[in-house]
Amino acid sequence: MSPLLEQFIAEGRDFLQDIGEKLMALEGAPDSVELMTELFRLVHTLKGNSGLFKFPEMTRVLHAGEDLMDSVRDGRVTYSEELADCLLDAMDFVGLLLDEIETTGATDAGHAEQSNELAQVLRALIPAREDEAETTAASETASPANATPPDLARIPEGSRLAAWHLAAAGHALFWIAYHPDEECFFKGDDPFHQARQSPGLIWGEAVARAPWPPLVELDCYRCQTNFHLLVAAERAELDEYFRYLPEQVAIQPVAPLALVIPEGLPNGGPVYGDFVGEARALLDADDLAGLAAAGLSLLELSSAQLWLSSDLRWLLAVLETSPERRDVLRLLIEALNTLTLPDWSSITASVNASVPEAALAPAPKKVALSAEDRTRLDAIFSVQSDILSLPDAVDWLPGRLISVAATLAACLANQGEAAEEVDEVNEALATALAERSAGPLRNWLAAFREDAVQATPTDDPAPLAESEDDVSESPAPTVVAAALATSAPVPAVGRRAPDSAASGSEPKFGRRADDAQVGKVLKVDQAKVDQLMNLIGEMVVAKNSLPYLASRAENQFHVPEFGREIKAQYAVINRIAEEMQDAIMRVRMTPVSFVFQRFPRLVRDISRKLGKEVELVLEGEDTEADKNIIEALADPLVHIVRNSLDHGLEVPEQRVAAGKPRVGRLLIRATQESDRVLIEIIDDGRGIDPAVIKRKAYEKGVIDEATLDRIGDQEAINLVFGAGFSTVEAVSDLSGRGVGMDVVRSAIDKVGGTVALTSTTGKGTTLRLSLPLSMAVSNVMIIESDRQIFGVPMDMVVETVRLPRDDIHTIKRQKTIVLRGRIVPLVALNDLLAVPAEPAVNADDELAALVVRVGGEQVGLLVDDFREVVDVILKPLPGDLARLTRYAGTALLGDGTVLMVLNPKELFR
Amino acid sequence: MSIEYIKKIARLTEFVSVEEAEGLLEWLQANPKGKVDLAACTHLHAANLQVLMAARPNIAAWPENTDLASWLRSALEPSINSLPEK
Repeated sequence: MSPLLEQFIAEGRDFLQDIGEKLMALEGAPDSVELMTELFRLVHTLKGNSGLFKFPEMTRVLHAGEDLMDSVRDGRVTYSEELADCLLDAMDFVGLLLDEIETTGATDAGHAEQSNELAQVLRALIPAREDEAETTAASETASPANATPPDLARIPEGSRLAAWHLAAAGHALFWIAYHPDEECFFKGDDPFHQARQSPGLIWGEAVARAPWPPLVELDCYRCQTNFHLLVAAERAELDEYFRYLPEQVAIQPVAPLALVIPEGLPNGGPVYGDFVGEARALLDADDLAGLAAAGLSLLELSSAQLWLSSDLRWLLAVLETSPERRDVLRLLIEALNTLTLPDWSSITASVNASVPEAALAPAPKKVALSAEDRTRLDAIFSVQSDILSLPDAVDWLPGRLISVAATLAACLANQGEAAEEVDEVNEALATALAERSAGPLRNWLAAFREDAVQATPTDDPAPLAESEDDVSESPAPTVVAAALATSAPVPAVGRRAPDSAASGSEPKFGRRADDAQVGKVLKVDQAKVDQLMNLIGEMVVAKNSLPYLASRAENQFHVPEFGREIKAQYAVINRIAEEMQDAIMRVRMTPVSFVFQRFPRLVRDISRKLGKEVELVLEGEDTEADKNIIEALADPLVHIVRNSLDHGLEVPEQRVAAGKPRVGRLLIRATQESDRVLIEIIDDGRGIDPAVIKRKAYEKGVIDEATLDRIGDQEAINLVFGAGFSTVEAVSDLSGRGVGMDVVRSAIDKVGGTVALTSTTGKGTTLRLSLPLSMAVSNVMIIESDRQIFGVPMDMVVETVRLPRDDIHTIKRQKTIVLRGRIVPLVALNDLLAVPAEPAVNADDELAALVVRVGGEQVGLLVDDFREVVDVILKPLPGDLARLTRYAGTALLGDGTVLMVLNPKELFR
Repeated sequence: MSIEYIKKIARLTEFVSVEEAEGLLEWLQANPKGKVDLAACTHLHAANLQVLMAARPNIAAWPENTDLASWLRSALEPSINSLPEK
């Protein structure tokens, strides 16, 4: 599922929630223009969003809702509860579709019908405007919804025979009346193409809707043509195929027998009397092969145009596909005598074993029950009967009777029984209550069950489906209802289904607001997450106090066992706290795409302005880091990208001259490396020429002459990070104001990141940003100086060493030491913090030096002693204290001490 | 592709799009006795189909595409199904 779709679903739920709330609010204030406008906006936006995806069912309903809201807003329709109900129903449907999309990624075309119904209900609430009235009326008459039963005789015999064979092979046949909208050409539809491409098309025709006017009056861009199709396909397939125009098609199942219409010239009559006699005899003798042979030979002798030949062809077709249908064969033979259409309605029971029953079933007044459901229902009835057989002499008899009656009524209503039967139950209940005896109800139930037993074995006669189109109604609601009834056999009396028809026709995926699904995405105020973060921080601190406690137990109270137990507990709490911290941190994780997504536009605009051709490649957009880090990254990245486009990449002519592809390439790649996010910005431009940098730096006085000679290329390149450095003479609106790279560096520094720049002249430049995944927890080393403790961020610390005082040399009044072949300057922390004390030495006359890396250089910080490394939640200094940049912040230690955490970068500035 | 009008014959080739309908209608009005050659036609937009159904020109050649031919024959042949739907 694409992120866009996920977002749509999450937002969609919010919208539905809002729409529901607004509707509720409107009930209290039906005249509020403000609410109404808001409601319109919500529906409108949701519709627009749904249009981004292929969910025609959803869009159709929402579109109808939008139109309705529009007319309400214009005052053409007044708000009513009925309107609210319709809208809520529609929104429930949309919610259902959202659920479905979430689980399957798509909507089922089977919803098209319901969507259409809902849309029609909504549209029905909109009064037609006067100018529209006429066209509405016209289109209503043309609507295929009230289409006449299919005129199957229009279909040529060859196609009907083909359809018969397909039906025999197990395909369902459908007659489709497709009445395209008059305006459909303007919507880009080609109804003829639509018709020709229908799945499983056997036959089709195009017919004029009305007699054609003279050519001069003909408007060829108004669709006046209807299409009739005979297809052998799955219903679902057809729904899917016509899902964008369900209001324009009527799909009706066709019973194969209805296709058996012999046609032709009615000549020849009695001459063939012999054949009829012979055929009858053969059929009686069960000699089907003989019958086929006789039929075939007669067919060969007869002219193909004769009615009789047509009848014979059908006879042979039936013999071939379903020889067990003696009744059909007999009727076809008898028809030869009379030369009239066989009366298929005299044939009962199912016609062709392979034809789905739905195609033949009568319009269900009662909901047809499957055998399984019938047994279930029977089980319910027998339990009720058992209950009624219990002794009557109990106090709770009335309650028992009421509950039994309610159960029965619910079963009946869901079974689609007529209201009289429900009334009968109620009457029996009333009598029973009056008599304080279960007798009346018991008798009624016994009688009812007897009736049911008699009714069940003989199925309702199944006339041909020609006349009925309402077979799509599935028996599923009964399944659900029966199951409900079993699971809750004692519903309240008042909950009896008010009218059986309504409950019977309720869609199987009926859904109400009370079982609304809770969205899986939670929108939380960032402050709440921050609070959690702070709390877990305090938890970590509190947890860290346990080791102190353990050591006190051992050393101060001399109970080492207890100390060990505390330590064991600490291990458990430690693990949980760390997991919790991790989980909370993940809540704050944001993908870098949050920042990256603005670049395609930015790059396009800038490169256009500069006349450069640039291909932007983004990689690793789903890499995640803490929200603050990602946000802090935004501005520096924009700077960098602008720099690359402005200074790095050349104009196409220069690139071609340099033998490079015309189109420059800018790659922004994010990767995760252990606990850091690495972002690389790579261009294949002209690169940075160290010589130019050196010269510029010298001219601007950033470096002196001596440095100019001494520094290497890499160091020279790093000069671009110096404040106020710019190589471009002219200040453009893009870059060149000298606030480029130093701003980038300080912004990245602020969130604990580092920047590295490498460049090859003529080949391109690579910038690497390395950032922590999260800055919630800092790893700091505690050091001691003049009996005070300070923290130093661990990512700065290179090593801790003990230096013999004798090894320290003073060069230019600067204490230094040679450490692993490098000269490392030494600075006393006390001096930096203006503490009037010398660094303490230990018993071996050694000084403690903490070697830290600052800006690519190593410096030894002389301290008194090293302590442990701890995880702390670093809090920035509040108020005016924040201006003390030498401190990164404060942290609370496990024993309650406040730890000042140093910021070495500022310290050595 | 489109429609070529050569003297008294309109030759429809490949796919005849919706834009062609108006031209076809005008041509049929101007040439009531013009013939239509559909041999190379594979599909025509419903608007064109309507024009042909309303004008009922003489067909010089039915499409080679059998599927299209059967559609057009049933819609355009003067015999059985020419009456508008009841």
